[in-house]
Amino acid sequence: MSILTLMGLIPLVGAIIVGFLPMKPSQAKTVALIFALGAMAVAIIVGFTYDPSSADPFQFVENTEWIPALGTSFSVGIDGIGLILIFLTTGLVPIVIIAGWRDVEDAEAVNKTKSGSVKGYFALMLALEALTIGIFISLDVFLFYVFFEVILIPVYFMIGRYGTGRRSYAAVKFMIYSFLGGMVMLAGLAGLWFLSIEAFDGPNLYLPDLLAMEIDPTWQTWLFWSFFIAFAIKAPMWPVHTWLPDASGSATPGTAVLLIAVLDKIGTFGMLRLCLPLFPDAAQQFAPIIVAFAVISIFYGALVAIGQTDMKRLFGYISISHFGFIVLGIFVFTTQAQSGATFYMLGHGLSVALLVLMAGYLMRRKGSTQIDDYGGVVTVAPVLAGLFLVAGLVNVALPGMLTFVSEFLVLVGTFERYPWVGAFATLAIVLAALYILLLYQRVMTGPKRESTAGIKDLNLRERWIMAPLVLAVIFLGFYPAPMLDIINPAVDNTMEWVGATDPPPTIADATEGGNQ
Amino acid sequence: MSTALMSLATSGDIPSDTVEPILTQITASDAGGIFEFMWLLLALPAFGAAVLFVAGRRSNAWGHLLGVLMAVIPAGLAIWLLVALMGRPEESRTITQHFWDWTFVGTFNAEFAIRLDPLSIVFVLLITIVGGLIHIYSVGYMAEDPGRRLFFAMLNLFLAAMLLLVLADNYLLLYLGWEGVGLASYLLVGFWQYKDVAAVAAKKAFVMNRIGDVGLSIAIMLMFVTFGSVTFGDVFAAAPEADSTTMTLIGLALLLAATGKSAQYPLQAWLLDAMEGPTPVSALIHAATMVTAGVYLIVRSNAIFDQAPVALNVVLAVGLVTMIAGAWIGCAQDELKKALAGSTMSQIGYMFVAAGLGPAGYVFAIFHLVMHGMFKADLFLGSGSVMHAMNEERNMRFYGALRGVMIVTWITFICGFLGISGLPPFDSAFSKDDIIAAATSQNWFAGAVTIFAAGLTATYMTRMMAMTFFGKARWHDDAHPHESPQTMLWPMIILSFGAIFGGLFAVGVIGDLNILEWLKPVTGYEEAALEVPHWSLEVITFVVVIIGIVLTWMQFGMRDVPQAAPQHVTVLTKAGREELYTNTWHEELLMRPGQHLTRWLVWFDNKGIDGAVRGIASGIMGIGTGLTRTQTGYSRRYALVMVGGFLLLVAVFFLAWWF
Amino acid sequence: MTFPEIAWVQLTPVIIMLGAAAIGVLVEAFAPRTSRRPIQMFLTFAALIAAFVMVVINAGTFEVIMDGAMAVDGPALFLQGSILLIGMVAALLISERTIDPSGDAFAARASAMPGSLDERQFTARGYLQTEVWPLFMFSVGGMLVFVAANDLLVMFVALEIMSLPLYLLAGMARRRRLLSQEAALKYFVLGAFSSAFFLFGTALLYGYSGTVSFTGIQAHITAQPQMLGLLLAGIAFLVVGLLFKVSAVPFHAWAPDVYQGSPTPITAFMAAAVKVAAFGAMLRVMYVALGGAVWDWRPVFWVIAALTFFVGSIIALAQTDIKRMLAYSSIAHAGFLLLGVASVSREALAATMFYLVTYGLATVGAFGLISLVRNESGEATSLDAWRGIGKKSPAVAGAFSLFLLSFAGIPLTAGFVGKFSIFASAAAAGSVWLVFLAVLASAIAAFFYVRVIVVMYFSEPTEKTADVVMPSWATTGAIVVGVAVTIALGVFPQPVLDLAMSANIFVH
Repeated sequence: MSILTLMGLIPLVGAIIVGFLPMKPSQAKTVALIFALGAMAVAIIVGFTYDPSSADPFQFVENTEWIPALGTSFSVGIDGIGLILIFLTTGLVPIVIIAGWRDVEDAEAVNKTKSGSVKGYFALMLALEALTIGIFISLDVFLFYVFFEVILIPVYFMIGRYGTGRRSYAAVKFMIYSFLGGMVMLAGLAGLWFLSIEAFDGPNLYLPDLLAMEIDPTWQTWLFWSFFIAFAIKAPMWPVHTWLPDASGSATPGTAVLLIAVLDKIGTFGMLRLCLPLFPDAAQQFAPIIVAFAVISIFYGALVAIGQTDMKRLFGYISISHFGFIVLGIFVFTTQAQSGATFYMLGHGLSVALLVLMAGYLMRRKGSTQIDDYGGVVTVAPVLAGLFLVAGLVNVALPGMLTFVSEFLVLVGTFERYPWVGAFATLAIVLAALYILLLYQRVMTGPKRESTAGIKDLNLRERWIMAPLVLAVIFLGFYPAPMLDIINPAVDNTMEWVGATDPPPTIADATEGGNQ
Repeated sequence: MSTALMSLATSGDIPSDTVEPILTQITASDAGGIFEFMWLLLALPAFGAAVLFVAGRRSNAWGHLLGVLMAVIPAGLAIWLLVALMGRPEESRTITQHFWDWTFVGTFNAEFAIRLDPLSIVFVLLITIVGGLIHIYSVGYMAEDPGRRLFFAMLNLFLAAMLLLVLADNYLLLYLGWEGVGLASYLLVGFWQYKDVAAVAAKKAFVMNRIGDVGLSIAIMLMFVTFGSVTFGDVFAAAPEADSTTMTLIGLALLLAATGKSAQYPLQAWLLDAMEGPTPVSALIHAATMVTAGVYLIVRSNAIFDQAPVALNVVLAVGLVTMIAGAWIGCAQDELKKALAGSTMSQIGYMFVAAGLGPAGYVFAIFHLVMHGMFKADLFLGSGSVMHAMNEERNMRFYGALRGVMIVTWITFICGFLGISGLPPFDSAFSKDDIIAAATSQNWFAGAVTIFAAGLTATYMTRMMAMTFFGKARWHDDAHPHESPQTMLWPMIILSFGAIFGGLFAVGVIGDLNILEWLKPVTGYEEAALEVPHWSLEVITFVVVIIGIVLTWMQFGMRDVPQAAPQHVTVLTKAGREELYTNTWHEELLMRPGQHLTRWLVWFDNKGIDGAVRGIASGIMGIGTGLTRTQTGYSRRYALVMVGGFLLLVAVFFLAWWF
Repeated sequence: MTFPEIAWVQLTPVIIMLGAAAIGVLVEAFAPRTSRRPIQMFLTFAALIAAFVMVVINAGTFEVIMDGAMAVDGPALFLQGSILLIGMVAALLISERTIDPSGDAFAARASAMPGSLDERQFTARGYLQTEVWPLFMFSVGGMLVFVAANDLLVMFVALEIMSLPLYLLAGMARRRRLLSQEAALKYFVLGAFSSAFFLFGTALLYGYSGTVSFTGIQAHITAQPQMLGLLLAGIAFLVVGLLFKVSAVPFHAWAPDVYQGSPTPITAFMAAAVKVAAFGAMLRVMYVALGGAVWDWRPVFWVIAALTFFVGSIIALAQTDIKRMLAYSSIAHAGFLLLGVASVSREALAATMFYLVTYGLATVGAFGLISLVRNESGEATSLDAWRGIGKKSPAVAGAFSLFLLSFAGIPLTAGFVGKFSIFASAAAAGSVWLVFLAVLASAIAAFFYVRVIVVMYFSEPTEKTADVVMPSWATTGAIVVGVAVTIALGVFPQPVLDLAMSANIFVH
């Protein structure tokens, strides 16, 4: 059994144990945490044994026969892009478990009704982790699709059973949106299956084989869009984004983090893993359209975020803006932009986790995420305010933060291909400063207030669980090499599959000049 | 008389001498010696900041001391580095130290590397010495503030970022420092977050700077696509090969960044609000160092601007406008600090004018920048001392006659006054006159404006002096002015020495370092031929300055100043008080429409897009309900439907048959 | 004229079923009332199992028997096996008598007037209508012939043998008898109507080809393709009869009323077994007899399929009664299955058969669960009554959600594998755009499955919420089988897929 399979199995087993064995809430939490840490440990081992310089695109490859009749096998393997997202997932889940130790209780306090059982919540969380890992490691398109669809179920229950506010509305909306995408993708999958029969006389959905398959343009167009739509809904891009604010708004902080930071990455990951390599011509042909939509997402998300009154919804819109950047980076086909986009996925994951968890702390204290319910918090809870500001600045992509490196790479990469688009997209950094600093000003600063006077500052658990996130963001902001070294080869492969190359500098011999 | 000094300084033999920038780089390890420890310049303050931020209340007792230490040691190190640098031959004074690959993807590589050369060392000295003094000053100034160690954490953070800005070896790393100082400025302006005004001012400063930063990022991208590198060495070496359009674009983009950071028109509005911050902050960040970063950026990029005459002219224009606008505002403001802020804008305007003159002016821009750093810091610390004495009252109309109660502050303020007003032989007499001369030599108009601005400078300074230290006491009843503690006085005293003798030092009359000669290898220099004799300009300037002083003295020194600001004033004064209505048109043209746009988009998102989604859903639902009605329950109806279905079948059959 | 020699071995499943049914009638006549039920139950299960064993033994047979009247081949045996399995599970539901305090799901005396005095007496005496069993066996027997019939007359006879008992059974509900009887009558009238169509189609095809045997018709089509008009008319009439049985739009109207009115075990049996049988028959007619004319009838099936899955899914959205909702969902599924019929290929055949068996077993399980949720007036099938069931009985809610997810086609359930293989084979047959419509329809369909889950889990129980009664091993068994199959064939479908693949050739 490949170490990757093991990594996915640990949380799955954990989910079953926590979900079905009788245990008290406190025990359930502890057990869940242990399994999450286990998965993280394995991920770290994978990270260290992974060899960025190796020639073959996928490592730790394992093929197990599954349903030959459908030409699908249980094939797992990983490349740099997947590995980064594995780090993100396995790293975030333990943090979310600890930070969300009392999510269920808090939500019940807000709803004034009973949510589902505590152990169920953490079991679902682990199930979600297992399925996410499954997506990031699967090398078989059918297998990918299976995880892609099944993952809806835990999230659906996490929002609908444990959320607050209009939770069941949000859950159904999420489900239908994603399922619609999934169904469209199913049609594409069927088409791919049919093509593979012709190509390999017999169905075969093993990705590395499919990469070698020639697909004629019309088919490429159809299949590309059927996959892309599914991923665009998941990511989510304008105009199919409206499920995200509702979901993030009514999910518990823990759920919201996993939803936005991890689950949505599946969309952009899918674009990189399937859309580009399988349908390169279509991808190149339609890139301009997609770039346009990405840019719209960037500004639309940012502007609507400025106008939000609820923090968690606001974070949803921020993410829409950030996903715009990621998609932009993916579809301009330059190494800088694509590495940037991949790195951005990690950065966005961490930054949004910081923000949403902070919002969770506030909600825990005041039972509300409405911005107007706050103000002057800094006077009573300076550490809370300070961390909130840090979280915000990470989202502003302040230089020195991991997010800056990724965002700048995306922008410069875009600029190489479409100068005007790149220059225009740069304006978004002003909006970013606006929506974060406005939020901070309205929530935290100002004179002491009656309404917020009772707010307590962070306790040690709340405080220190943030430390790893903050450290990671800053460390990788100053020294991103460890991650970029993993990402770059994978991106080079993708670029090669797509058949795209960077435009050279207008003054070629510049790099020779000067330094010596 | 400054001509004489100039002649022995620049050995300016006619016709104009020309110096081309020399760019041979030596790595620190090759250079050896103290250069191996350049990194400490960044590491120490960064370390201080980190410790103080994390340690929290535990460090209340010793936090400020650590902060001071982390500022003073780099100052010593900087002096040592200067000496070491002077010991090296002129062409090998560019030392780089590489730490690690920072942002490295494909052909894009921004290293984490610093570069020490005659230009950056000047800044390092200014930052560390003035910064160190202000750290010391703050120990006293913030003594009663519960968050003092936090204040020092932020000051240290600022030092680290500012040093990175001037030491960076490539534009992306410069950007890191650039935004770092922006962050520090944001934190320090909003240091008293419980004051709404402070919070708003901080946000305003950050956002407006971000607008400038857009320019910087675009410039960096342009450089990368043009030269395939963002390292100073590569870019400057390849600059001459690029076409002028690209270079103009890069130049303008850099200028946008500079205007934001240096509060030049039209991005100047944040500076006056930024005075909400504690006065040491105003002195260090919003007078001496950060706001001058824009000048550094332009002078540092001289290789680019040399290829972009258009951009240079725009720089000149921006400088001229801001020079007048700032002085104008400075003349009308009643708050001591805001008047000083206006003056800062105006002085930086001078620097932009100089930089806009190209190779003829770069050196003078930096020269004036250093001078300004000293006397303006001195003036701000003085104003801080005054406000300290007057329970944080900022309005000069409630000052007056303070010379009696706080002699040291008064004297140091006088020194600052002399330094800025341009009376020989004090700081500006050298730097400003050089700028005026250079400007005049290029176009008469610019020269005239600079001279006029010199007069305005004298005016607002005299007004401040008069309203603050002379005339009758117009204090609040509860005000008991007193001299400030030693920790505050000594920095002021030292800086006032700088304000008095800085110029003499800089041109090498005292000591053997001539800043102009020193900088030329980096900035290049070509002396512009001046039609009129140099001394004639000096005389004119001198006269204008004196007139300014005398007139203002008659207005404010001899008459009583009312506590309530008079309402029946000239349009000019009104405009000056209103900061030339910049905020107004910013609000009307940008803020309001922006707010409307966001509100509309929120509505559109809920009603438009999401509405459409919900509409489709309920639409399908409606069809379902409609079709359910066909389910009448009557068998005859069902049978009928079947027959219909059969007919449909037949129809399709025969259609399919025909086609 | 020569008397066709009887292929006893291949016929055994049919003979056993019908024979047992006949014996059942005798039992009704002579056995004392008290002992009838056990005897009938024994008889039924014994017959089902024996027949199944014989089917297994016959596996691999590939011949036309009875002078071309019947075919015993892969599809026939596979479908017979499926029908028998479904029959067993359905029989378990039928035999359930603990969940309704007053007896089983059937009226004490179907003959008694609803609401009349003697009805109350019979109920009080605890009478049970054991005629249910022979009727059930006859129906199963008819199905076995239906899927093996190789000429139109045999097929028609089988159709009637299958249907008539169902008409009766539909009217025998113990609760809401009027509704039940109305359903029965409707089913009968419309069923007869459709049979007429079928018969007329048979006549026309005979007129066209001079024979009723599939092989003959096929030969005729390939030989001389004139008189196409007659052929097409014949096909048109014929398929109406079949489409009615699979409740394809616009021949579906009976399904919701009948599903809702019939006793739930019978509904389960109809929804599952009848679909299998009808589709089996349809596949054989279309592939074997009319395969030559595929280009003529395929467009029709496209249209009907699209109509069916769209109308089924969309109307289901508006339902507030779970039984009706499942009725419409089964209509939608008929649409997807028609996709498989329309794309004439061996993959499609295998896919369709796989889909049928998994869907059938899941359906029986789902109806089994519905029979557990009750209030004082019997089964509570309105959505309101299911509010917050998840908190009352996690097991029932969980199992039901599983079935719903399988119907919706979420991966790792049998429903997904079936759906994917049908869509894939349809795409392979070149009707990608139809697949695209189908996925849209599935997305719509997902909405009401999801809504039921919302009702069960995300809302608090109200006073309207029904109780969940503890069933005997019988119903439990039926449900467990459904769950097991749904999961097992969702995760490891390979064996059954192989079986279907190995059995995807019709004998000619």
